[in-house]
Amino acid sequence: MNRRDMLKSSIATAVIAAASGPFGKSANAADGLKVGILIPLSGPGGLFGPSCQNCASLAIDEVNARGGILGRAIKPVFADVGGPPADATQAALKLWKGDGVEAFIGMHDSAVRGALTNLFKGQVPYVYTPVYEGGECSAGTYVLGETPAQQLAPTIPWMSERKGASDWYLIGNDYNWPRDTNATAKAYIADAGGRVAGEEYLPFTADNFDSSLAKIRETGANAVLITLVGGASVGFNRSFASFGLSEDVPRLGTLIEENTLAGIGSENSKNLFSSAGYFADIDTPAANAFKEKYAATFGSDAAALNALGQSCYDGILLLAALAEAAGSTSPVDMDAVANGVSYEGPRGSARMHDRHVSKDIYLAEADGTAFRVVESFPDVAAGDNCG
Amino acid sequence: MAYIRASSCAAAFALLFVPIIWDSFTAYQLGRYLLYGMVAQGIALCWGRTGFLPLGQALFFGLGAYVTGAVLRMDPGWGLILLAFLGSILLPSVLAGLVGILVFSRQIGSGPYFSLITLALSMLGLQLANSEEWLTGGFNGMTGIPGLPGVDSYEHLFFVIVATLLATTLLLEFLSRTPFGHLLEAIRENEERLQYFGFRTGVLKAAAFGISGGLAGLAGALYAPHQGIVTPQAVGFLLSAELVVWTAVGGRFGLIGPVAGAVAIGFLSSGLRDAFQYWELVVGIAFIVAVLRFPGGIGGFCAGIASRIVRGSPAVRRRRDHRVRKRQDPGHPDLVYRNVNASSGPVEILRDLSFEINRAGTHCIIGPNGAGKTSLINVLTGKLAVSSGSVSWKGRVIGATEPYRAARHGIGRKSQVPSIFATMGVGQNLAVALWANRLDLRDMLSSAPHLWTSGMFEELLSRFPFLHDESASAGVLSVGQRQMLDFAMTMLAEPELVLLDEPCAGLSSAETEKMIDAIAEISARSGSTFLIIEHDMRLVERLSDNVLVVHQGGLLASGTMAEIRENPNVRKVYSGAGNA
Amino acid sequence: MNFVYSVTVLALTVAGLAIVFGLLRVMNMAHGEFVALGAYSALIIQQSDLPFVLAVPLAIALCATLGWLIEWTIIRHLYSRPFDTLLATWGLAIVMREGIEAAFGREFKSVDQVLPGTVDLHVFDYPAYRLVLIAVTVLMLGILLGWFKRSNAGARIKAMVENPGLAEAAGIDTEGLARKTFVVGVSITGVAGVLLAPLVRVEPYMGFDYLLSSFFVLVVGGLGTLEGVLIGSAVIGGTDAAISTIFDKTAGYLGVLLLSILFLWLRPHGIYSRQ
Repeated sequence: MNRRDMLKSSIATAVIAAASGPFGKSANAADGLKVGILIPLSGPGGLFGPSCQNCASLAIDEVNARGGILGRAIKPVFADVGGPPADATQAALKLWKGDGVEAFIGMHDSAVRGALTNLFKGQVPYVYTPVYEGGECSAGTYVLGETPAQQLAPTIPWMSERKGASDWYLIGNDYNWPRDTNATAKAYIADAGGRVAGEEYLPFTADNFDSSLAKIRETGANAVLITLVGGASVGFNRSFASFGLSEDVPRLGTLIEENTLAGIGSENSKNLFSSAGYFADIDTPAANAFKEKYAATFGSDAAALNALGQSCYDGILLLAALAEAAGSTSPVDMDAVANGVSYEGPRGSARMHDRHVSKDIYLAEADGTAFRVVESFPDVAAGDNCG
Repeated sequence: MAYIRASSCAAAFALLFVPIIWDSFTAYQLGRYLLYGMVAQGIALCWGRTGFLPLGQALFFGLGAYVTGAVLRMDPGWGLILLAFLGSILLPSVLAGLVGILVFSRQIGSGPYFSLITLALSMLGLQLANSEEWLTGGFNGMTGIPGLPGVDSYEHLFFVIVATLLATTLLLEFLSRTPFGHLLEAIRENEERLQYFGFRTGVLKAAAFGISGGLAGLAGALYAPHQGIVTPQAVGFLLSAELVVWTAVGGRFGLIGPVAGAVAIGFLSSGLRDAFQYWELVVGIAFIVAVLRFPGGIGGFCAGIASRIVRGSPAVRRRRDHRVRKRQDPGHPDLVYRNVNASSGPVEILRDLSFEINRAGTHCIIGPNGAGKTSLINVLTGKLAVSSGSVSWKGRVIGATEPYRAARHGIGRKSQVPSIFATMGVGQNLAVALWANRLDLRDMLSSAPHLWTSGMFEELLSRFPFLHDESASAGVLSVGQRQMLDFAMTMLAEPELVLLDEPCAGLSSAETEKMIDAIAEISARSGSTFLIIEHDMRLVERLSDNVLVVHQGGLLASGTMAEIRENPNVRKVYSGAGNA
Repeated sequence: MNFVYSVTVLALTVAGLAIVFGLLRVMNMAHGEFVALGAYSALIIQQSDLPFVLAVPLAIALCATLGWLIEWTIIRHLYSRPFDTLLATWGLAIVMREGIEAAFGREFKSVDQVLPGTVDLHVFDYPAYRLVLIAVTVLMLGILLGWFKRSNAGARIKAMVENPGLAEAAGIDTEGLARKTFVVGVSITGVAGVLLAPLVRVEPYMGFDYLLSSFFVLVVGGLGTLEGVLIGSAVIGGTDAAISTIFDKTAGYLGVLLLSILFLWLRPHGIYSRQ
C-alpha cells in the first residue's frame, strides 16, 4: 500500500465528502490559487509573525495585480506554526488536505521544516524562506534563506581586512544551526589567515554570560562571531557592551536583525555587524520602493522590517517565478525547471541553483538601533548543499 | 468499577467510527491527543490514585519516541519493531522505577521534592536531546522516521492507537481492582499507616511510577511513526507541564478523564489557534477556573452528575470465604531496651531507658505527660532514631530503621489519634490490614485476596458490628468508631507485639468499656504481647499484668499494679506532679 | 566579582519567591511574570522621561495591586492544596504573559542603562550599574532580614503556615496575614524586575528564565529563611560559574540540574534548614 495514494484518496475524499465539516469547502482550481503561509504567531518566534504576514500580503497584492500565478489570483491562508513540530504538521495537513492549498511558503525553524518535508514528500511545492544551516535537498522544496556559506564567505575576509579581525571567538546557542554555521566559519577564517580563539555553545536558557565574556577576554580574541538567537543574543550583547568590550572587539552576527538590535539597545550596539540578505536600510530603487509601499500600506506603527519577515515577500516572488517557468504548480514540473529560475526583488536579483538561490548579501553595521549597510556583495552562491 | 470497563470499551468502539463519521484528518489529530491521553493516564495513576505528582513525564514519552524512531529509521522487519516497542516500554519504565526507588526509599510522603526532581530530570533530558546531535538529531530532530510497515500513519495508525489505549485502560482498570491498586490508594490516604502494616510503600510508589513511565514510553513509541519526527520538545518540561494540565482538567482520579482532558484541550487550542490571536489567554483562564471550581476535572464533574442520577450504587458484598492463617514467627517474646537515649532536636526525650519484657500478656506504660511514653514506642517502630543504646525484639536489634521493618518483625502499632484510610471504605480499610505481612507478589496482582478472611477477622466483626457495612466510607465514622476501626486493623495483622497508644482516647464511657472488653478478650485469645500506653486507670487496673512507670525519659518503676501503688518513688512523682 | 554578581542576581530574583513559596508554600509558576512586570514598569518610566528611581514605586504599585487581586480571587482558595497552586499559577502565568504582550507588543524592548560605563577596579573594569545593583540588593535583603528578625512577622507567618487553626486561635488574622505576605512577596519580585531591566532582555517571555532557577535555588538553600536564599544562590551560582569557566555553559547548566537533583534527593530540606 502506497502512502501517497492513501493520502490523496482517503484523506482528501473524506474532507471533500464532509464539505460542511470543520475545514470549510474544498479546493476548486478556478477560484484562485490557495497558498499556505506558515509563520510563527505564538511562542518565542511569534515576534516575526506580523512582519512576515505584512510582507507576504504585500507580495501577493503585487503578484495578483499583474495577473496572479498562471492567471490564478493567489489566495493566502495563514497558519501559526510557532508551536512544536507536531502542531505545525497538523496545521499544514489541515491547509493542504482540508483547505486545498496548492503551495506552501514557510518561515519557521528547521525542526518544523524537517517535519514538513517528511509530510509533503515532494507532493506540494514548499518554499522555505529564513536563514538556516544549509543542506536541505528534498524534492519540491525550494530554499530562499541565507546559508552559512553565503553569510560568511564574503564577510569574514571583509572583517579581517577592514576591522583587523584575526582571532575569532565563536559563540552560539547549543543546537544545529550555530554548530553548522561555525563549522563553515572555521574554513573561511583559516582562508583569511585568522584563527579560532575559542568556540562555545550556550543552552537556550542561558541568562548569565559572564563566564563567556571572561573567556573572550582571556583568549585575546579580537572578533566575535555570534550565532546566538533571540533573547540569548540580546542578553549576550548587552553584557558584552556593559563590560566595555564593544569598544575594541567587533562583533559579527548572522541572525541579528532589526528586532534583536532594538532589544540590544543603542548604547550596546557599537561595533556590531550583521550579515544578511536583507536590511531595511538597503539603498536600491527596488528596496526603497518596497519600504515605502510597506510604510504606506501598514502605517508607521507596523511591525519593523527585518530579514526574516521580509523573506516571506521574496518567498511569494520565488514561488511565482517557479510556477511561471514550469507552467504549472506541480512540484514535479517545478523541479524539472528549477535550476536557473530567477527573479528580482527588494533584495536584488536571485537565481536558483540546487534548490537554493545565489543572491546579494549585505553587511550592515549598527548605528544606534538601526542598521547601516556598509558593504554589499553581489550574487553570492549558496555553497554545496546537495552533496 | 465494571462501569469503567464497560464505558471504556464503548468509548473505544465509538472512536473507531471517527474516521468514518468525520474524516481521517480528524482521526489523525485525535490519534495524537489520545497518545497524550495515554501519558496522562499514567500521571493520573501516580497523582490521583497514589498522591505524588510527576512533573517530568515527557522524559519517558520522548525516550520511547527516540528509541522506536531510531529503530524504525533502519527500516527493520516486524520482529525488530516489536522489540523496539518493548524497549520503548521497558527502558522508560525501568528508569522511572529506579528514580522512584532511589527517591521514595529516602522520603516518606508526597511533598514537592519528588515533583521537582522529575522536572529537573526532564530539563536534563531536553538539554541532552538538544546537544547530543549524533544521537538525537539535535534541535532539528530525528527526521524521516517511516511509518510502521503496512500501517499508514495517516489512515490506519489511528486504529492501532485506539486499540493500544483500550488495552492500557483495561490494564489500569484491572490494576485498580487488585490489592496493588488498593494499596496505592491507601498510600495517598495515609502512607505512614501503611508502613506500620509492613508494606514498603516506597517500592509500591516506585512501581506505580514505573508503570506510568512504561505507559508514557509506549505512547512515545507510537508517536514516532505517527509524526515521522521526534524533536527535543517531546522530552521537555513544557510538554511535561502541559500533560499535567491535561490530566488536571480531565480529572486525575479516573482513567477516562485524563484522556478526555488531553483530547478536549487539544482540539480547543488547535481550533482557537487560528481563530483568535490571544487564544492562549482563553486556555489560561479556562485552566484557572477548572482548578478553582472543578478540582476533580471533567471526569470528577461527570462522575458527580452520574452519581446524582444513580443514587447510591448498590453495595457489593463480597463473600469472604478464603481463610488465611498468620505466618508463624518462631521464638519467645523478648523485648529488650538497653540504655536507650533518644532526642528530638535539642530536647532529650529518652534518657538511659532500660527494661525487659519476656512474656506474653498486657504490659501498661504509665507516666506523666511528656515522660517519653510515645517516644518509647517510636524508637521501636523506627519513627524516632536511637542516639545510643539499643532496642531489640526477639534478639534482633531494630532501632532506627524504617517503620515497615518493625511490622515485618511482628510489631503492630496503633497511634493515639485514630489513623485510618479516610476516603476508602471500611471494607477496604480492613482488607489492607488483613493483607499485612500476608500478601506476596502474586497475590498483589490477583483478586483472590479480596475474599480473604481469618478467625480474627470474624471475631472483630462480631465484636464491632458497625464494621459489617463494608462499603461505608471510613471518613464518616464517629471518633469512637474510628478508634475501634483502627484497633481492629491493628489486630487484623495479628502482630506478636502489639503497641497501643491510648486506645481509649476520645471514647465515651460506654465505648471505653467496650474497648477494654475487646482488648481483654482479644489479647487473651491471641497470645500476643501487648504494650499499652494509657492514662485511663480503669483500663490499667483491669488489663495490666505488669506496669511500667516512665518518668523524664527513664524507667521509674515496674511491677504489678499493687506493687506500683506502694512504690515510694512513684508516689513522690505523682504527688509532686500533682496529678495522676 | 562575577561570582558576587551572579549570586546577587539570583538572590534578588529568588527573594520574592522565597516568601511566596518558602513561607506560604504557594508554588508560584507566575513568579517570572512578576519579574517581567517590574521590568516593563522600568520601561514605562523611561519612555515617559521620568527619573528611573520612580520605576520602583510604580512596580510595587502594579505588582501589589495585581498580587492582591490574585490572592483574593485565586490563591486564598488553594492554600491547603499545594499542587493546585502550581496548576492555577501556571494558568496565571499564561494570562499575565498574554496581557503583557497585548499591552506592550511582542518585540524586544531595551531599557537604557542608568549608569553606563565601567569602573576601574584595579584588576579589571567593571560595569558601574552592576556595582549599584549589588549594593542595592544587599541593602534590600538586609532590610528584609532585619524586618523579619525585628518584627514578629516572620514568626507569625511560620506559625500560620505550620498550624493555621492554632494561629487563628492565638489571635492571628491568618487570612489577612497570608494576603499581606503574598503581596509583599510579589512586590519584591517586581522590584527585582526593575533593577534587572537595564541588564537583560525585556520581552513578554522573559519571565521563564527566572522561574525554574529560582525554585532550584530555594530547594538547595532550604525553604523558609533568607539565609537559605543566600546559601542557595551561592551554591547554584557558584556551581554554574565554576563549571562554565572550566568547561562550557551547557556543562554548567547540566551541572546545576544534577546538583539540584542530588539536593532534592539527599537533602530535601536544603543546606540551611530549620530542622
